[in-house]
Amino acid sequence: MEQDAQLVQQCLQGDGSAWEELVRRHTRRIFNICYRFTGNGTEAEDLSQEVFLRVYKTLGSYHSAHGGFATWMTSVTRNLLIDHYRRTKRDRVTDSLDDAMPVVENKESSARRPDQQALLHELSGQVQTALTKLSPELREAVILRDLQQLEYAEIRQVLDVPEGTVKSRINRGRIELARILHQMGVRPS
Amino acid sequence: MTWTCEQIEARLTDYLDELMPAEERREFEAHAQSCADCAPLLASVAGLLKNLHALEAIEPPPRLAYNILNQTLGPRAQTKGVRSTFGWLNNLLSMRFAYGVVSVAATLIILLTASGFSFRKPKLADLSPVNLYRQADSRAHLAYARSVKFVSDLRVVYEIQSRLSKDNNELPTEPESTMPRSTPDKDPGSTDSTKPGSPKQQNRANGLSRQVEVLAAQLPPVHNVWGAQWFGRRIR
Repeated sequence: MEQDAQLVQQCLQGDGSAWEELVRRHTRRIFNICYRFTGNGTEAEDLSQEVFLRVYKTLGSYHSAHGGFATWMTSVTRNLLIDHYRRTKRDRVTDSLDDAMPVVENKESSARRPDQQALLHELSGQVQTALTKLSPELREAVILRDLQQLEYAEIRQVLDVPEGTVKSRINRGRIELARILHQMGVRPS
Repeated sequence: MTWTCEQIEARLTDYLDELMPAEERREFEAHAQSCADCAPLLASVAGLLKNLHALEAIEPPPRLAYNILNQTLGPRAQTKGVRSTFGWLNNLLSMRFAYGVVSVAATLIILLTASGFSFRKPKLADLSPVNLYRQADSRAHLAYARSVKFVSDLRVVYEIQSRLSKDNNELPTEPESTMPRSTPDKDPGSTDSTKPGSPKQQNRANGLSRQVEVLAAQLPPVHNVWGAQWFGRRIR
């Protein structure tokens, strides 16, 4: 976090390499939030670019009172996702996956057996399908807590709601998600 | 404190995230594990969390960071020297490019063949637009004429068949008393009583015999007995 704050200061002083470093650090996280929320790889890519563009333009407005830089950036991402959701609500017929899931390729996945990797990929697709069936409020709460592993206090800052509301949404989201997965025939491991 | 199912559901997250004091946790478990409704709910949500935490982060496409930096910092530094001159050759190694080349080649071959270009004796003059057009035009007309002829041939065959079947149905039928009877043991058209004729032969023979019988009925009566017997034997 301190490193992020330092990089932000360097960016504001015109250091392009500091901005490159910030982009490198946060691209994966922002892309994952966007993808898990929209269920669409192309939309997630476009929205991620918009997030960084917005952050770049409003970098001067970031203050440590907003919390950590990552939390502030997540808040910007969340607002953009909600705006996008409202804008595209009319065009959306079903909340279903529009394209194939991006491939998960990282060090941990290469260490797994192929059958384990295939099962995990299938599970990821099923969870994604179920997530898109949740309402946006419950969906963002579950994504931030269970997929991004944010603390309740951070989620409260991102969503700008009381902590009790955060817990309530996470609770309802989890129960609803478990019910949807059960209906899809996905049994808990 | 006795927990209700509604309380269990409301505090499920606190239990799973280990935010409950130990005493509350024991009371929660006492109800949740023994209740027929709460036990499966607890198991399914706990299993869901395990699955969610096992999911890995998805790798963004490599071009994403590049595009972000392009949009924010401006176009990136161009490659120079040999790499910039021959860098485009890397694109030729992709499967997509190979598929594209094969598709284009197949399309050209089909078009040239349809336009009459001979691959065995190729001539440069055949590729001129005027010759291509003429060849394609003559082939198109030839194909059209052949299809028209085929359709008209089919029509002729159909008309002949329909007239034949019409004629067969219109043959007049006479009352049985005036018609000479055939030998019951021997069917017309069969030469050997042990081997019956094929259905085709049988039908043809039946048709012929019917026509002969009709003609015989129309002939004047033969008064000469011997002549009548001879004539009767001939028409059986």
